[in-house]
Amino acid sequence: MKISIQINASPYQHQAADTAWHFIQAAMAGGHEVYRVFFYHDGIYNAARDSRPPGDERDIVKRWSELNSNDGVDLVVCVSSAQRRGLLEQSVAKKVGGYEKAIANGFRIAGLGLLMEAIIDSDRHITFGA
Amino acid sequence: MTQTAILPLALKMKTLFFIIDKALHGNVCAQEFLDIALMAAAFDQKVVLLFEADGVNALLKNQQAEALELKNITPILNALELYDIKEVLVEKESMQAWGLVERQLAIAVKVVSRCEIQRQINLADHSFSF
Repeated sequence: MKISIQINASPYQHQAADTAWHFIQAAMAGGHEVYRVFFYHDGIYNAARDSRPPGDERDIVKRWSELNSNDGVDLVVCVSSAQRRGLLEQSVAKKVGGYEKAIANGFRIAGLGLLMEAIIDSDRHITFGA
Repeated sequence: MTQTAILPLALKMKTLFFIIDKALHGNVCAQEFLDIALMAAAFDQKVVLLFEADGVNALLKNQQAEALELKNITPILNALELYDIKEVLVEKESMQAWGLVERQLAIAVKVVSRCEIQRQINLADHSFSF
């Protein structure tokens, strides 16, 4: 089955990012295809490059980056959600004098069109986080 | 719409059911949530919007979101028809719980029972809440 995922809540304060990540692991182990993970609302903070949790804690951002580098899962951060909350894409940051390295490796910034494409093209679309 | 011409996958038409069950003003979530519904309509998907629980208050006339320095949602509600979103449902039981009648609402809606809503959600390809 082709599955797309939407994450609406920030990491650490909410369980959404953890539940979603475990769900994705189980889905892939079960032979399903994870087509895209779309980060929306406060979920965009899952892509904050400078997140540095203590060494004995799970590193949620790094875990996502590895999902992209190891398993090739497409990680998309909503551009308007991210701009509103201060995570800028490099070219935009350059233009407005913002921080150019806000987004962690493996994520890309794009519009809601990519969410729609994922919803339309997947057999299941599952949202995590209120 | 021109967008669909370059996106052949958008020819697939799904029914997407959006549930608004929280007050619209106070944070940016509802606005971002409605953005998904509008984008879905722009992708020629069949969009059904449901207002229930606290969400029914969003439909009231004379909202003054400007007092909170927030965007007023009413113009978006008025624009739904332009986006070809014709199915705007309100749960009858929620209207009664809040003591509301249809003439107090800013736009034309279909008042439907909880039981009918359940039937319609079951018919949809995907349902969304925030």
